[in-house]
Amino acid sequence: MNGQRHATVVAAASLALTLTPLIGIFEGLGWAFPVMLTIAVIAVAGSLMRAAGRGQGLQTLAMAAALMVVLTAGFGDGTGLLFIVPLPATFANWGLLVQEGVQSIIANTPPVEATGGIMFLTILGVGVVAILHDMFVVGLRTPALAGLTLLTMYLVPVSVAPEATAWFWFILPAVAYLWILGDDNLRRVSSFGHRFTGTGQLVGRSFPSPLARTARWSATGFVALTLLGLTVVPANTSGLIDNVADGIGGGGESYGLGDVNPWAQLSGSLTRPEEVDVLRVTTDDPNPRYLKMHVLDELTSDGFAPNEYDGTEDLDSLDRDTNLNVYTADIENLVLEAPVAPVYGDPVSLDVPGDWRVDPDTGVIVGDGSDMGDVARYEVRYTDPAPDAETLAAAGGMDPGDDRWEANTAHPDVPELSAIVAAETEGAGTVHEKVLAIQRFLSVANGFTYSLETEDAGNDEAILDFLDTKQGYCQQYAAAMAWMLREAGVAARVVVGLSQGTRLDGSEWVLTSHDYHAWVEVYYDGPGWVTFDPTPATGVPGSVTFPWATEPAEGQDPVEEPSENDVSPEDPTAAPTDDAGQTLPPEEGGTEVPGTDASGSTGGAALPFHPAWLSLLLLLAVPFLPALWRGAVRKRRLKTANLTAATAWDEAMDLAMDYGVSIPESYTPRQAAGVLATAAPGARDAANALGSAMALHRYSPRGADPGGLADALRDLYAELDRQAEPRVKYRAMFWPASLIARFSADRAEQSARMARRSARTSDRVRSALRRRRRSNNRDRHGVGGRA
Amino acid sequence: MTFESSPEQPDGAMPLPSTPQAQGPAPLSPQEFKATAEAILTNVEWVIEGKSHTIKLALAVMLAEGHLLLEDVPGVGKTQLAKALARSIDCSVRRIQFTPDLLPSDVTGVSIFDPEKRDFVFKPGAIFGNLILGDEINRASPKTQAALLECMEERQVTVDGNTYKLRSPFMVIATQNPVEMEGTYPLPEAQRDRFTARLAIGYPDINAELALLDRREEYNPLDALRPIADAEMVVRMIAAARAVHLAPELKRYVVDLVGATRTNAQVRLGASPRATLQLLRCTQVLAAMDGRDFALPDDVQQLAVPVLAHRLIPTTETTMGGGDTKAIVSDILRHVPVVSHPGRF
Repeated sequence: MNGQRHATVVAAASLALTLTPLIGIFEGLGWAFPVMLTIAVIAVAGSLMRAAGRGQGLQTLAMAAALMVVLTAGFGDGTGLLFIVPLPATFANWGLLVQEGVQSIIANTPPVEATGGIMFLTILGVGVVAILHDMFVVGLRTPALAGLTLLTMYLVPVSVAPEATAWFWFILPAVAYLWILGDDNLRRVSSFGHRFTGTGQLVGRSFPSPLARTARWSATGFVALTLLGLTVVPANTSGLIDNVADGIGGGGESYGLGDVNPWAQLSGSLTRPEEVDVLRVTTDDPNPRYLKMHVLDELTSDGFAPNEYDGTEDLDSLDRDTNLNVYTADIENLVLEAPVAPVYGDPVSLDVPGDWRVDPDTGVIVGDGSDMGDVARYEVRYTDPAPDAETLAAAGGMDPGDDRWEANTAHPDVPELSAIVAAETEGAGTVHEKVLAIQRFLSVANGFTYSLETEDAGNDEAILDFLDTKQGYCQQYAAAMAWMLREAGVAARVVVGLSQGTRLDGSEWVLTSHDYHAWVEVYYDGPGWVTFDPTPATGVPGSVTFPWATEPAEGQDPVEEPSENDVSPEDPTAAPTDDAGQTLPPEEGGTEVPGTDASGSTGGAALPFHPAWLSLLLLLAVPFLPALWRGAVRKRRLKTANLTAATAWDEAMDLAMDYGVSIPESYTPRQAAGVLATAAPGARDAANALGSAMALHRYSPRGADPGGLADALRDLYAELDRQAEPRVKYRAMFWPASLIARFSADRAEQSARMARRSARTSDRVRSALRRRRRSNNRDRHGVGGRA
Repeated sequence: MTFESSPEQPDGAMPLPSTPQAQGPAPLSPQEFKATAEAILTNVEWVIEGKSHTIKLALAVMLAEGHLLLEDVPGVGKTQLAKALARSIDCSVRRIQFTPDLLPSDVTGVSIFDPEKRDFVFKPGAIFGNLILGDEINRASPKTQAALLECMEERQVTVDGNTYKLRSPFMVIATQNPVEMEGTYPLPEAQRDRFTARLAIGYPDINAELALLDRREEYNPLDALRPIADAEMVVRMIAAARAVHLAPELKRYVVDLVGATRTNAQVRLGASPRATLQLLRCTQVLAAMDGRDFALPDDVQQLAVPVLAHRLIPTTETTMGGGDTKAIVSDILRHVPVVSHPGRF
């Protein structure tokens, strides 16, 4: 096997090793074969092109073509010519797959099934990385750069699923990287010829060098140290790239019910750029409130996690007599997939296909093996109890002896938070006063704003970050309010579901992906669980104002009170929106284009952020790295503080190299300036000024004045760029020869040093051999003489 | 034994050492240096047509207190060059025609018994001049060559245990016929090393030769030549040139260049440290002639071939293959980096 082929195999194998963390984000191992096949096909394509003696450009093209063939064969759905040549229809199909993939990435948490869009994205990503990787390791022989591709590959699973990818998955990528570096070095060293031990013994080609032992030990040591470092650093960074978007509700772990995490679904839906209709509701309720899906009442330092929903009962148990109005909602499911059925208020009966049960503690309707994905339409009959403020003000809280007390008031110990809560609820005696105090604390009036972006203020606990930065969305508001209430000794829990949505006409409502919402339920002795929504109404399109939640002083306005009968049916959302959202023009109604409203009110900062984007961005940035680096080098040299004739001259020489103007090292500054002036006739004066300045700087006792050299350099750059052919121009931009030369100069220096060392060793060996031969000869002559 | 000065040498050969720097009233500025050097060059060029570069190098060698080996066929103006140089600086020129029967004492001088004084009197030889033109030096016997070369290096003559200092400026311009002839004794390596530079004048081009004919129709331009500088001025110029700044990078470059001749595969024997010294001194002069008080690698590159080529002994393979030490030095110039990289070699 020749060196290049060997390096190709090493490159492919190392990349395969780096893919092992994917095990954590996919279900099963079905993804492994196609991915490995892709890597192999790309490696073979590149290797063949190399064997044919083609340049790096053609090698890269061949590998890209191989990737295309793999994608067409695997994901073309037969649209390709002969199944392997992509046609326009194939690309259209891919476009759909990409959309599907992105959607499933947003909606699901790992582990996911490796099918369809996700698989397409995986193969595409792995393919692109494999091409770059092969280029770095084999084509350009810059194995150090391969660390970038390996890192990119490693970051994707780690950032998507920090929990699913444990720290020990770092070992294999690290080993892969060390393998590449070591192999490349071995390849270079073995080209020097024979190897010797320190005592001058010849080491066979296939035997490891005596130094290899040391190298292996130190490599193992470094990996161990790194891992040690990873485990020692504080726990909240153990995910390497933290789930920034998760804010307070950091919990990303999946739970027994299925693969949908309510928090992930919530943030994913709210941040998704295009709005998708989720449900269509026809109801006789003039002002329907929120649709409950999940109840999150398990509070740990990671945030609120969903209830286990154990101890569910048959749906028949819902049936009861009531003196409240019973409404009927006919709900058409458009895209929702969830193990829970969204319901309004207190359901009385539910007509839904499949096996569903109710969890009496939380009121959540849980699928017993059934999923909303299989339900196209269902009907809910429900009441919507509306306790008045006076009742609540008089009501007590949950009895500490209650079975549910522990589960609904438990909270991590955060002294800073306790202090804040104690200060805010000072003087609040009843449960309701505490609730209102905390709601007031989280209000817009207190400086809180709605934003899909959360910021890290550097606190240990995300909740403190939120209280410091005072910006977040429903997830933070709901979780913060529930947590603070628990801190104040009030039973509270978070509910995730859908907000009111948009009225189409009369009794028809549509709920979109932007209507996902989270709010709080507080337990009052008597009325039971009562809904509060601390999130600023400006950010929530289908926000509803709850009459009992308004402050006693200003909550007396009867018009505000949307009790079932006296709210005007034409515009039920106008009241809450106008009330809190003065920034919104009335004609938009706050619900028309909820996505843009949300981002508009936060200054456009609501771009979807997902850690996977970071990896993609990194990958996209790779081709621009040389250009950026070169620009940074130029900028640094031209900085007035750094600018001397020498730095200016270095820059001029690098420019010459970038634009393919050959200046031998044996040229004096004046001669070099002459060559530059010939290459850039328009900048002759600039070139000569640079050359003279350098000659003065280096050889004159007085040095040179760097004044005007920056302008001269700019002239020279502009003129060289003007004179260059487009091909040269782009190469100078994206693949500046001077940067590459710097790398290879370092390498040349290293190998020269090593060559000298080995030459010294072999000299010593040779003289030792000569001595031995001479003494042997003497012995032989001596014997001959005696004979 | 007494010393008697000859009529051609008014101030005589001084047996006591003297430093030229002490004589100069004020140091020359680079501009003055340049102007004087240019005036001398123009003057000499009046006699030798179209050979300004050779003349410049010859003057540089002189101001670097070196000696010049002119290797060229007869009749191209070797003697004219030497004479014109001498005339321009108003100093004495002596010519020695080397023949196989020339004796060392003809060069250095001899002690003769003066019956009147009843003592030996030193009669200085041809070497006691400012500019010595040694014609066809390779025709003299080795012992005579050795006598000349000792004077060149030591700048003094020792006869009968008495040491006589030679004049300053002192420069030997030796000519040598490149065509191998019978009865010649080619200069050994050690002696070639004493010449700072080897130059070839070469045939003039057509225009220069026509101009030469026109000018010589009426008179010999050499006769019309007027001195530009005197010996004292030359001594001051020599001192000024020695003050030219040599940057560490430049010294390193010169050392690298000379070092490269020693490691070159085509060379059996490379240039000596003396070559390094002389190359640096000529570099200083060339820089001063350009009106600079610091030397540039460009100066070194102009001088490398004349200063280094004649000192190298090529391997037999190179000689057989028609290789030439000038080509070797040019090749070295093309490959040695002007700024050596730190950490290498």
